[in-house]
Amino acid sequence: MHRECVFGVELAPWLANPARMRWLPYGPDALLIYFADGIGEEAFRRGRALAAALEKNPPRHLREYVPSFTSVLLEFEPGLPLDGNAIVKRLSNLMEAPAPEPVTREIPVRYDGPDLALVAEHAGLSQAEVVAAHAAPLYKVYILGFSPGFPYLGDLDPRLHTPRQPNPRLRVPAGSVAIGGEHTGIYPVAGPGGWNLIGRTDFTLFDPAAARGDNFRLLPGEQVRFVPVS
Amino acid sequence: MSAPVLQVLDAGLSATLQDQGRPGWRRYGVPVGGALDDHAASLANRLLGNPPWSAVLELMLQGARLQAVEDVWVAVTGALAGANFPFWRTLKLEKGQQLSFPRAQAGVWTYVAVEGGFAAPLFLDSASTLASAGLGRPVKSGDILCRDSDMPAFPPPGVKARVARFEDQRDYLNPPALRVFPGPQWADFAPEDREALFIQPWHTGPHSSRVGYRLEGEATIPPPPGQMISEPVRLGTIQVPESGRPIVLLRDGPTVGGYAKIGLVHPEDLSWLVQCRPGQEIMFRPA
Repeated sequence: MHRECVFGVELAPWLANPARMRWLPYGPDALLIYFADGIGEEAFRRGRALAAALEKNPPRHLREYVPSFTSVLLEFEPGLPLDGNAIVKRLSNLMEAPAPEPVTREIPVRYDGPDLALVAEHAGLSQAEVVAAHAAPLYKVYILGFSPGFPYLGDLDPRLHTPRQPNPRLRVPAGSVAIGGEHTGIYPVAGPGGWNLIGRTDFTLFDPAAARGDNFRLLPGEQVRFVPVS
Repeated sequence: MSAPVLQVLDAGLSATLQDQGRPGWRRYGVPVGGALDDHAASLANRLLGNPPWSAVLELMLQGARLQAVEDVWVAVTGALAGANFPFWRTLKLEKGQQLSFPRAQAGVWTYVAVEGGFAAPLFLDSASTLASAGLGRPVKSGDILCRDSDMPAFPPPGVKARVARFEDQRDYLNPPALRVFPGPQWADFAPEDREALFIQPWHTGPHSSRVGYRLEGEATIPPPPGQMISEPVRLGTIQVPESGRPIVLLRDGPTVGGYAKIGLVHPEDLSWLVQCRPGQEIMFRPA
């Protein structure tokens, strides 16, 4: 990847030129656009700016967009010519508008999960210290994925990074608050899963029966604070 | 309104209601869903004059038995399963008549459409079943399926019956070579590994499902070194995990993934791929 140097100091490319984005074709009718090099504050801000641009000023014939940590997929109506450079240039310009301020949601958690002890042992901390470390940060909702409404939350205290379970559970209850590698998340629906379960919440993340537009209660680009309850 | 038309005497190996899926929800982590073989499913609806978004019954391999509880027009397309009635055409069932699918012969997925389409609740704009997320549930033995009686019945004036064009009646034992576009990480694979995708036959492996089909071949394809940040993935993506055995992502598959994506099966050719039975041979060619 191209990098820029100023007086011998390498700048992160996004810092050197905030408008720079890379894109690759992904089939005849889609683009995969990279808007950041790594996961973090800058990627989170740029992702919000890009999503805002796509909502307010979508490129013509855009069918659907799917954001991820540092990239976004744009799918267009099939059978039309696609000018990736022009689309990305236009989005770069739109992204210069300030990113919207993230919404912050408080989520109550009972820290009594079956893997709390395991996470504590892995971290070399007491269970109370794990709870304190997990409830301290303001987390970023980077993406929803894995299952409907499942939020990948960062940035988790590195001491709490815990490998996934070698044998995933066949059924993790809905509302389980969990740690998988460097992320923390919440299982919106019951199902199989390999993350370490440290707590439970009654906060509903996904309600398939709710009115259209109210099905998902935690969205990419929002922030989360966990509030311990007993 | 809905009217009971078919009783499920036996759901067989798997039976679900599916339509064209729910595009637009992937950014919330919801797979697109829908009938895996969109060619066969949409043809069944078209024969009956149903709207393209009508729900059809998707049956896996064999074992299903359905009984008409009223006189009803149906159309059955897709995988042959030892049925004693014709596929790829409209068919009038008299009350009490049965459709049974005793023995998988060619293909994997069979589609049953009824006049007006099946009546089914919509979740996130679609009747497609995604039981793992609480969006509907599989069809079970004993269920009574209803047709949407607000939609026009078959046949329309001046029509006696309809048969699919011969070239649309597919022989799933002889799929064409499937067209593949380069995936986002195409350039990161070694040239000889990219070639391996096209020069050797692949077999669909066990543990394939509506989520994805695993491919097995003589040579494996080593993925590029290094860990990837998860990226959005598309329907039909050929991704390569550490095992070097590619996986083709299908309609109930993930919305994001961290494996290198070597290719994308042409959207029009996916309906051939999904009908390949475990062990069946397929070839890819550059699109």
